[in-house]
Amino acid sequence: MSKPKLLEMSGITKAFGTNVVLEGVNLSVDRGEVVALLGENGAGKSTLIKILGGIYKADAGEIRIDGEQKNISTSKIAGENGIRIIHQEIVLMPDRTIADNVYLGRELRNKLGMVDEKLMQEETQKVIDDLQINLRADQRVGDLTMGMQQLVEIIKAVSADARIVVMDEPTSSLSQREAEILFGIIRLLQEKKVGIIYISHRMEELFEITDRIVVLRDGVIVGDVKTKEAEKDSLIHMMVGRELDSYYTKNSHEVKDVALEVKDLSHSKYFKNASFRVKYGEIVGFAGLVGAGRTELMKTIFGAYQKSGGAVFLNGQQEEIRKPREAIRKGIAYVSEDRRGEGLILKNDVKFNMGLVSLSDYVNGIHVKNSAWDQMVENYRQKFSIKITSSKQLTGNLSGGNQQKIVLSKWLAADPKVIILDEPTRGIDVGAKAEIYAIIDELAAKGVAIIMVSSELTEIINMCNRCYVMCEGRITGELDETEFSQESMMRLMTKTEVKGES
Amino acid sequence: MEKNGKTAIPGMNYIKRNIGTLGGLLILVIIVSISTPKFLTGSNILNLFKSNSVNAIISCGMLLAILMGEIDISVGSTVGLTGIVGAYLITNAGLPVPVTVVLVLALGALVGLINGIAISYLQVPAFVATLATQCIGRGLTEIISGGVTIRVRNEAYTSLGNSTFGGISVIIIYAAIVLIFTWFLLNRTRFGYYIYALGGNKTAASYSGVDVRKFNMLPYVLIGLYCGLGGLIWSARLGSAAATLGSGFEMDAIAAVVIGGTSMSGGVGTVGGTFIGILIIGVITNGLNLMGINSFWQDVFKGIIIMAAVVLDVFRKSRSQKN
Repeated sequence: MSKPKLLEMSGITKAFGTNVVLEGVNLSVDRGEVVALLGENGAGKSTLIKILGGIYKADAGEIRIDGEQKNISTSKIAGENGIRIIHQEIVLMPDRTIADNVYLGRELRNKLGMVDEKLMQEETQKVIDDLQINLRADQRVGDLTMGMQQLVEIIKAVSADARIVVMDEPTSSLSQREAEILFGIIRLLQEKKVGIIYISHRMEELFEITDRIVVLRDGVIVGDVKTKEAEKDSLIHMMVGRELDSYYTKNSHEVKDVALEVKDLSHSKYFKNASFRVKYGEIVGFAGLVGAGRTELMKTIFGAYQKSGGAVFLNGQQEEIRKPREAIRKGIAYVSEDRRGEGLILKNDVKFNMGLVSLSDYVNGIHVKNSAWDQMVENYRQKFSIKITSSKQLTGNLSGGNQQKIVLSKWLAADPKVIILDEPTRGIDVGAKAEIYAIIDELAAKGVAIIMVSSELTEIINMCNRCYVMCEGRITGELDETEFSQESMMRLMTKTEVKGES
Repeated sequence: MEKNGKTAIPGMNYIKRNIGTLGGLLILVIIVSISTPKFLTGSNILNLFKSNSVNAIISCGMLLAILMGEIDISVGSTVGLTGIVGAYLITNAGLPVPVTVVLVLALGALVGLINGIAISYLQVPAFVATLATQCIGRGLTEIISGGVTIRVRNEAYTSLGNSTFGGISVIIIYAAIVLIFTWFLLNRTRFGYYIYALGGNKTAASYSGVDVRKFNMLPYVLIGLYCGLGGLIWSARLGSAAATLGSGFEMDAIAAVVIGGTSMSGGVGTVGGTFIGILIIGVITNGLNLMGINSFWQDVFKGIIIMAAVVLDVFRKSRSQKN
């Protein structure tokens, strides 16, 4: 017999009430192995991870580490067994240093029993240098970019001698460059014989860094293949359980007059002299690295940020938009990249959220038109196949795909002429992604002018008619459909201009 | 409007949603009724309602603040200030009753407006802003009263708090109107929907086109107006106003709102729940009074009930989350 595997979860079963979420799931990870856990939202991935992390208790099944059976009933015990889970949402204290965050809960002390700040910083710096990251242990976490904060979580895991690291969508808020750094670190961890479970919806990166891909669907393992032998289409098929006729939907539509034109728009901090135009019926992409100023540019057009110069034209007429509500009144919608923070009111139900933008259609004086409101909700529920049991369900409990469809419904109910989609498919599973692409295409067909900010180049290449590329607060290029390619975009995304003018 | 098939039995949803607090209220009523036969009599129940009317009015205001994820601790002081000013205007300045009523209500609204502007436009945290106006209000109350109780002998004025209507004290009617009005506002107007939206997520509300500043400010004006009404009622009912009038009222109002199931972080809460909270506070005070237990013990019991209500609520929520 060979040496037992690092981690073996076998026969894991879990039900919430009558709802069986996991059924006889087996998952193993060996030393130095990177295993991808793939599945649509709601497939049971996060429940499985929470069982491993000691947050939930499995109804049946066992967990073995180095062949030894473990009863992981709390997250503390999970930590003691070398299990570290890096969650999608970063949970760090922004006002403390990297070292403070890394040693949170297990602070190093000196002989007098007081916290030894200096020692913690030294130890943290060792890990940072070891992982070849360009950070200092005494930097304030709040000053770092989202991507770098993600790396702090990894430093934390390594510093605590993690043997099994779970990464839940680690790249969803990372730029391409930051993701590369992350992949480098993953390879270093592999050399250190750490086992990694990697959850992501981005197929490309799974092929780049994982050794094995495990597919979960409706609480059951439906595939376990070596990455080398895996094929994208068959993986998607396994995940979704049906053929997606086509992943992207792109029909050609009639492109009409210019809807929105932006001339030399500037913001004192984020971007400078941005000029571009979008026509009715056109899907225009915005590519760029995280921090290039794309989101800020869109928020300025939408009136959430204030411009420092330049002008915005709608249908050829100059408009002064100082507040989101003025933008909405003029027919502009903005679907935020931060669905939970800026898109939805999670404590409120589906109906409330869907009606928020077009509320005056349903609540007039003291008259609440419930039947019209319910009808609207029902229309979108059917049209976008939103999976809810009732319109009174709280939006906070829904999956990312369903939440995004609700945000889209909210905006479409107000019948906008220009829609700005900021990372419309971030953190959404493959099936829902395809559905959202179809919705976007249909909107364009109806003559809506669409701006799509995306960090996934394939998404822009496959969906857009034209695209602009931004780098460090400037629009560095405009590409036509015929000029689209990952290379041409990457070149513009990293094109740092000569900083002569100011 | 079309009838919704699901709401076949009216009130069923209400009972379901507030099952915990209703159960608590019921248990309290049973305990108190067994302890003292004087409790479950018509006159005592009317008395209970009457003595909690002002708390009901102020709690409606407090609910608005807490729904926005904020708080207003100046309410007690504003009741005191408006009460003293009312008594002063009638007795010392000799103004006619209608003018006094308008001025008192306007003064309440003005205090609310100051709170609202500070919180919404100047971005002062609500606790700090209302702490400041509380101090100012208390100080002004002492200055105006000169440290002595102002008596009101104008019967037209005192009848505002002492007359009855079909055997029911007019104060109870004021409170009922305020409760219904607030319910209406929260459930039937855009103003109400926006308050829930603000309390749930200010950024998302703003990005959905809600005029966040305006709708963050307006509720405070209404709270101030409610306090003005409270001051009017108290000074009229007592026929006098002392500088201590209204002190500690904010605590009973916060207690009622919190016991009623409103989330201190905002976005979740109802007038119906708050009403039960008001009754729970009322039954404790009234019951313990009847039993002859002194008021210091009443505070102890109130504290325990608040803690229990919130712990139960947290427990219930975390359980429903795991399942």
